[in-house]
Amino acid sequence: MSATVTTLLELDGIHVAGRQLPRLDGVTLRIEPGERVALVGPSGAGKSTLLAVANGLITPSGGQLRWQGEAPATSGRRRRRQQARIGTLWQDLRLIEELSVQQNLNAGRLARWGWPRALLNLLLPLDTAACRQLLQRLDLDPALLGQPVSALSGGQRQRVALARLLRQEPLLLLADEPLASLDPRLAGELLELLLDQGQAPRALLLSLHRPDLLAGFDRVVGLRNGQVRFDLPVSAVDGPILEALYAGSDLAPDQRRLEVDAPQGAGAGR
Amino acid sequence: MNQAAVTGLHQPVNAPLRPAAPLWPLLPALVVLPLALLLPGLLHGGGWDLVGQFALAALQPSLDPLVLGSVLGGLGITLGIALLGWAGSLALGLVLGIASSRVVWHTAWGHRWPAELIRRLLALPRSIHELLWGLLLLQLLGLQPGVAVVAIVLPFGALVARVVSDQIDNLPLGGLEALRSAGASTPAALLTALGPPLLPQLLSYGGYRLECALRSATLLGVFGLGGLGTELRLTLQSLAFRELWSGLWVLLLTMLLLEAVISGLRRRWAMPLRFAEAAQPVGRQGRELLLAALGLLPLLVAVAWALGIHPGQLLQWQGLPPFGPADWQAVAALPWPRLIGGTVLLTALAAAVAVGCAPLLLLLVAPWPWARMVLQGLWALGRLWPPPLTALLLLFVLEPGVVTGALALGFHNLGILGRLLLEAAAGSGAGAQQALAAGGSGPRLALLYGRFSPLARPYLAYGAYRADVILRESVVVGLVGATGLGSQLLEALSSFAWDQLGALVLVYAVLTLLGEDLSDRARQQLLGQPIPGRQLPGRPRPPTPQQPLAAPSLPLSPSEPA
Repeated sequence: MSATVTTLLELDGIHVAGRQLPRLDGVTLRIEPGERVALVGPSGAGKSTLLAVANGLITPSGGQLRWQGEAPATSGRRRRRQQARIGTLWQDLRLIEELSVQQNLNAGRLARWGWPRALLNLLLPLDTAACRQLLQRLDLDPALLGQPVSALSGGQRQRVALARLLRQEPLLLLADEPLASLDPRLAGELLELLLDQGQAPRALLLSLHRPDLLAGFDRVVGLRNGQVRFDLPVSAVDGPILEALYAGSDLAPDQRRLEVDAPQGAGAGR
Repeated sequence: MNQAAVTGLHQPVNAPLRPAAPLWPLLPALVVLPLALLLPGLLHGGGWDLVGQFALAALQPSLDPLVLGSVLGGLGITLGIALLGWAGSLALGLVLGIASSRVVWHTAWGHRWPAELIRRLLALPRSIHELLWGLLLLQLLGLQPGVAVVAIVLPFGALVARVVSDQIDNLPLGGLEALRSAGASTPAALLTALGPPLLPQLLSYGGYRLECALRSATLLGVFGLGGLGTELRLTLQSLAFRELWSGLWVLLLTMLLLEAVISGLRRRWAMPLRFAEAAQPVGRQGRELLLAALGLLPLLVAVAWALGIHPGQLLQWQGLPPFGPADWQAVAALPWPRLIGGTVLLTALAAAVAVGCAPLLLLLVAPWPWARMVLQGLWALGRLWPPPLTALLLLFVLEPGVVTGALALGFHNLGILGRLLLEAAAGSGAGAQQALAAGGSGPRLALLYGRFSPLARPYLAYGAYRADVILRESVVVGLVGATGLGSQLLEALSSFAWDQLGALVLVYAVLTLLGEDLSDRARQQLLGQPIPGRQLPGRPRPPTPQQPLAAPSLPLSPSEPA
């Protein structure tokens, strides 16, 4: 990697076909190290699709995608190295219920580990010190390491999923509405943790359903009908801009009121 | 579930060297190591060129109209036998299943013991493999097409009866009690309360039985009871490999077609009832089902007529060879420990090969879609290819014995377990696998960690069931010799040493029942649920809510014998 700062993610005129309308229609977006970007927009705007393009799950039908200046590789090994630098926090967490917390954390290292260590991880506790440290960093009791994930509470699971993501040591952190199913307190805590991680050389791209939680971000990207409507510093995003973005969808007025009246209001119901 | 979570708190998962869930399905594959060490000693190296010819002939099957004609004729007979055996076993199984249901007896008569009695009696026909039934009946009735049908109907019927009665007894009883207390008559209450929830399960299970019946009919043919199996064995023994492959390809196509049709029908009829109650009008399914059932009857009659089966003939026993005086000393002098040990070893080896190699192979081919297709093809071949034929083929290069028999049985069951594993893998762990792959894990590790974790328990539970089936099936590879009870049985049959035969069948049956019990316990352990039919006497419990660990529903729930 060169010493100069490389753009972590570049989308250039990305097009993803849909059944009737395109799911993404000429989306252009750049994310630099240290940037924390929120992706907002009404349901069906294409937020999830954009994130799926960004982490390589969907291959766009048009446009160019670059990770750290490289086009996605077609060869298995190089592609895997590229993927390892992108970490996704899934809305449904996608933890492996049958494995212990430690094994789940170590699953974040699978991209870098060879077969012997991957198999050993299923037999022995590996890298206990590193896993312990991660749990402590996320305010979790290190004694949880030996527990099966299925025995954890909702909040603990959320943090374990985040710990696995950090164990992967990705440069670009993606999260698709990570706060959607959380109560306000948990949502606030998780958002803080995520924003903490999005400092250089890393960057954070997070889709949000709640415009009331934008405060900690650097940039806000508004998406509607598969197109970028605005891409502004967070200080420039105000009520009218959001209103225009959500115009015609039933979510907007409530959300704006939340912003004024109760920043920690009840989770957005659809 | 909660209990599991609580006990989990007290038992640290990270005790040293404790294999985690994804490794479990792979552990039985360790049996490959001793087998690999044993194999060089078993090679006699005589027939490698024959094996080569056999493999080459796959690409150039004989297209001679005469060969094809006889293959298709044989296929017709095999299909007819399978269809009649299947229909007969379903009808018999349904009647006996209802007759051995505790709930039915309790509702109708107030006592449960007749159900228990019938259950015990049915254990015997169930524990004897259809091949043994076939060969015994052959002695009694002489060679006629009906023999194979009856040989399938008896054990299959008893198996279906067990499944039916277990399912009836495990249905929630609220509806039945409500109807009874409202004054409905007993038969009406039973039919109304238990019929609709039972139907989709029976349809699903019935479909699988048809596939099993086709496999069995082919197998019976190999032992001379007519149809395509007979052709296959004759062509193999006369080393006419191209003709052999004509039959195999036809059989493969038929089997795949049947599997596709059955899974299509199951989706259409059985699944909507379970998963989309509102979306599908029940009336349409009902009409289609009724039409299918009505269409089946004349078809069965026509098939029976075409095969020349006359029910009357089945009642005319032919004169048996005169029974010699029983020589019990000779029976006692048989090397029983060696026979039983050989059978148990054969079963264990074959089960380990089948259970362990399916996930291992799936893992090995994970990066290449084309290799996966090849593997699926190989498994399909293993499913339909009767194990005794594999055993005969292996004899070209291997010495006869337990290992040879185990490889043949293992290959067959590998095909069955492999398909099951693929279907189950399609239904669970997709999210976790995708997440791992998106984080840069290789395809194999993503499959191992993501998919095998939720699969481990239900897959092994099914494997335990399969081991029970393999024990029963071990008689069919008896013809390669020195495989324990199986070969001794076939020998006693051909010389009609009835005293030995009786003792051997009895020991076999006892062994099978023990194996069934053991496999039930293993499944119970793995799934953490009460096994139907093993509950304490008393009021049948409603099914326990499924644990998340058992959630990926295998197409055959492990309590359904196949």
